[in-house]
Amino acid sequence: MNLRDYILRRLVVLPILIIGVSIVVFTLTRVGGSPIGIYLSHEMSPSEVAEIKARFNMDKPVWTQYLYWIRGIFQGDFGWSGVAAAPVSDVFPIKLAATMELAFCAGLVALFLGITLGTYAGARRNRLPDHITRIIAVSGASMPQFWFGIILLIIFWANLGIAPIGRSDATIFASIGHPTGLYTIDSIIAGSPKALWDAIWHLILPALTLGFGATAIIARMMRSALVEELQQDYVDAARAKGLAERIVIKRHARRNALVPTVTVIGLTFGFLLQGTITIEIIYRWPGLGRWMADSVLRGDQATLMTYVLFTSILFLMVNLIVDVVYANLDRRVTLGK
Amino acid sequence: MMLKWRKKIAALMVGSVVALAFPMAAFAQIKNPGLLVHAADDEPTTLDPAQVEPGEGGETVILQVYDRLLDIGAGSSDVIPSLAAEVPSLINGGISANGLVYTFKLREGVKFHDGTAFTADDVKYSWDRAMTMDLPEGNAGALSDVIASTEAVDDMTFRVTLSEPSASFLNSIVVAMVASVVSKDAVEVNGGVVAGTPNRFMAGDMVGTGPYKFVTWNRNENLQMEIYEDYWGENAKLNVRIEIGGDPDVRVLGLRAGEFDTIETDPSFISDLEGAEGVTIYSGGLLLEPLHIGLNLNIPKGSLPPEDTIPEDFFHDPRIRQAFNHAFDYQAFLNGPLAGYGDFNPHYVPIGIFGYDPNAPVYDKKDYAKAEALFREAGYWDKGFTVSVITEEGNLFALMCLVLKDSIERLNPKFRVNVLAVAESVFDDAHASNPLEYAMWAKNADPAADPNFYLNAYAHPDGEWGEAHGFANGYKDADRIASLIDRAAVELDSAKRAALYSELQEVLYDDPMWIIGAQEGVVMAHRSWLKGFAMQPLWPRPSLKFALFDK
Repeated sequence: MNLRDYILRRLVVLPILIIGVSIVVFTLTRVGGSPIGIYLSHEMSPSEVAEIKARFNMDKPVWTQYLYWIRGIFQGDFGWSGVAAAPVSDVFPIKLAATMELAFCAGLVALFLGITLGTYAGARRNRLPDHITRIIAVSGASMPQFWFGIILLIIFWANLGIAPIGRSDATIFASIGHPTGLYTIDSIIAGSPKALWDAIWHLILPALTLGFGATAIIARMMRSALVEELQQDYVDAARAKGLAERIVIKRHARRNALVPTVTVIGLTFGFLLQGTITIEIIYRWPGLGRWMADSVLRGDQATLMTYVLFTSILFLMVNLIVDVVYANLDRRVTLGK
Repeated sequence: MMLKWRKKIAALMVGSVVALAFPMAAFAQIKNPGLLVHAADDEPTTLDPAQVEPGEGGETVILQVYDRLLDIGAGSSDVIPSLAAEVPSLINGGISANGLVYTFKLREGVKFHDGTAFTADDVKYSWDRAMTMDLPEGNAGALSDVIASTEAVDDMTFRVTLSEPSASFLNSIVVAMVASVVSKDAVEVNGGVVAGTPNRFMAGDMVGTGPYKFVTWNRNENLQMEIYEDYWGENAKLNVRIEIGGDPDVRVLGLRAGEFDTIETDPSFISDLEGAEGVTIYSGGLLLEPLHIGLNLNIPKGSLPPEDTIPEDFFHDPRIRQAFNHAFDYQAFLNGPLAGYGDFNPHYVPIGIFGYDPNAPVYDKKDYAKAEALFREAGYWDKGFTVSVITEEGNLFALMCLVLKDSIERLNPKFRVNVLAVAESVFDDAHASNPLEYAMWAKNADPAADPNFYLNAYAHPDGEWGEAHGFANGYKDADRIASLIDRAAVELDSAKRAALYSELQEVLYDDPMWIIGAQEGVVMAHRSWLKGFAMQPLWPRPSLKFALFDK
């Protein structure tokens, strides 16, 4: 089967999979009980409870509720979030953008620190810098994020007062438009250096905390790969040609060592997204992670269903893309059999 | 090379140690001048007075942005004029001789935040709107239960006729958030009034006459208000930013760091702030929301959790209810979860409310001897029982249930109390069910300014909880209790009314329908640089008016 046919076939199957996912998501959230509780207050009379149930179609049979939910999704109505006190469809893109921005910046931190430390350690195998880097990497991987986050918060926010908390200075944030929802990008579009600085300043601590955990994995992988590469013949050849050690590492060995490291970097992004829940709670970052944590605790099922549906569809799409990319990269992989 | 690296590491370590050891700055310099930063623990669910649930986060904002005809001052529980030019009374002719008609002369020259003039038409529109919308989550019933009609007599005179005399109309209903005055023009151009349907604009935006103008609400993040320069009264001095939610430890840290000026916490966090430089602990008075455990006398057959061994009519026996009240370890609850901030009030009038009788009998000490005698008399001492109590997880209510569990299980190893600490939505779903499928549940009372609210809701056999819990199934003399509450509700002579409430507190001690864990103390930590700090438990939580503060 050629690539075009394979993609078409997967795209045809995709809606069926999505419907299957939606049924599973809906059923699972109903297993935990009716979602009506988030909309109720304790002094409501039975007739008022009935009124609220009717407003959210909770008085209908479960399969009818499912159809209402699906119909709502097609109309862009994902339900009412009791936690955010707003329609899920209004809030979701804003929260998603905030989380993606944080995860992306943490990824940059992890990438920069991981590759730099890994290269530094790999080039100085079994010497003091290698041991120190190992300590940093191990502590990054083993330190609980919430603990590390709180320590940074105590030092830089509470004690020194040089780092902020939250996502933005509310006044500066309100002074620019937000077409993308990504504060850094929006501040560039608005041409506001003040807003850009505000965005970066607020990102530093949470991105550092989140990225530090991932740094360890990248650094260790980079170090091992570099050590292996430095033992290859082509490295000896480069040295024999009289190239400086710095050039040998930077231009030859590091480039090849990056190949296995890139695979790990891809996997790390999932780790970063997962970690945003803790980081967002500690740093009062108004993203998807904190919203989801609140939604789980308070039983805001409209929000949870949207989140799970969104991530499931994302996963299906990413799987499709990965399959196609793999087939392109490795011709031994055949599609559709 | 190695030396350079070592120097860097050493510098990093020294820097970290210095940073950790660095005492918090002396804060001679006020942070965020001109701005009050309040860290709230709760997100509002709506900003619409017609939709807001009493005790909910939205009331905090409504209190600052909207005005009502009357208000309660910081220093006492007396009502004072607000949008009304004077408090109606029999003497000034504002209240008719039969107690049914209230006439409010309105304040001249008041403008809404959108620049439109305030008139009696806005008051009539605001009250009628809430009653027409009649949203189940809101508090419109407070108005519609007593109001027969409203009338804008002229631009500056508003008249309301009650369906029956109400001793609590001025100090309980006119000052309630649902009675806030909204701009008729603003509502009409933004969806108007639709019965039974929330107004999307009003839920997230505000046009009032209060000392603060609403600016923006970033969900899950913050809410901002700015000083309304054309306010009819004394202008506020600080703009306000409410930081929403987040970890309570971070709020405590933020207050210590001076990033927040006031924070909302429960009393158990206060010990973390005692002695902190630049932080003042304010305590005084009590919240009007007693923490209680409801006893259900209306359990449907076969509906209790399977592990419960009690019969459905378990709490019909007053001896069992008394025994539970005697067995609860009040001091442990007060000194533990409440960190000593609180007191014990009689059934069911909170301390600080008109009618509270300081001589009334109160359950305030664990008395195992009495509890044992009553359980023996009722026939449960030897055979034992298992009963479940449902509550929200991770808060004072859950801790109160654990104190109950500990108290009852220590009394007799044959007694078992299962604490079902569940997510808020699961609890609310169970709690709003009628009949309720649990024998006990824990929460707090809704605050009010008048005893009739408490006694009607929490003691009257036909009241909100009396009906749901089947109080009539267990009261020794349900008619007497109903009659006392009904008579007190319409009694306009204060002395006679107080006597009726004293009698009720006596009767309800012997026939309790609740275990009242404690009446939580008013305690709040704020930055010492904040001037004019005052709390009033009769204002919605956190009982603060930001317009009074300065830095």
